[in-house]
Amino acid sequence: MAKSIVQNHIRRLRFESGEMTQQDLADEARVSRQTIVAIEKGSYSPSLELAFRLAHIFKTPLEEVFTYDPKEDVPGKR
Amino acid sequence: MTYQEKQNVVNIFSALVVTPIYAWLVFQRQQHGQFDLREDFRQWGIVFLIYIGISIVARIIIQIIFHIGNAIATQEEKIPSADERDKLVKLKATRNSYYAFTSGFVVSVIGLALGMPVHWIFIAFVIFGMIAEIIDNGSQIYYYRKGV
Repeated sequence: MAKSIVQNHIRRLRFESGEMTQQDLADEARVSRQTIVAIEKGSYSPSLELAFRLAHIFKTPLEEVFTYDPKEDVPGKR
Repeated sequence: MTYQEKQNVVNIFSALVVTPIYAWLVFQRQQHGQFDLREDFRQWGIVFLIYIGISIVARIIIQIIFHIGNAIATQEEKIPSADERDKLVKLKATRNSYYAFTSGFVVSVIGLALGMPVHWIFIAFVIFGMIAEIIDNGSQIYYYRKGV
């Protein structure tokens, strides 16, 4: 399964938010811990709604949680 | 293994147990001459309707046993609710099972066109229905492990 072209900084943001656990973040975002694990690993791209919810939890703009590199988004590269 | 993965394994187990046992019982009745499924298509309707009822009851019992066993083993009584990733996994798995069952249907129709007996299409429905269910649950395990 191809990795997501959208990179995320959730792990860093969790630790900067008082070492928040994956379970704490999952509870606040109303998803399972496995979903947070999958997003952190880059094996699942969240919906826009969940992405904004995560950014809201970290009190940071969306682009600081998720980044997109257009150079990686080339047909045939994934 | 997550709760969802365990539940999919149990569902595969259910499909591999319930359908073959019921098929065997129907086959035995056929062998003893209680009905003739090669000619009596009305009887197929009855066999399928009974199968639906038995299948639902058997799976409910298996699920209850699974939930009790899982709660004892993990000390977690709460059943995790499905989030957006679970729904996407289920959607993709359902698509795969649909492809499997549709392929089976097309193979059956080709078989009919080539002159196979009509009752084979019902047997093919049972077999491809079971395969589709295994593909559904197997796909879910795959997507949970490899990403979706």
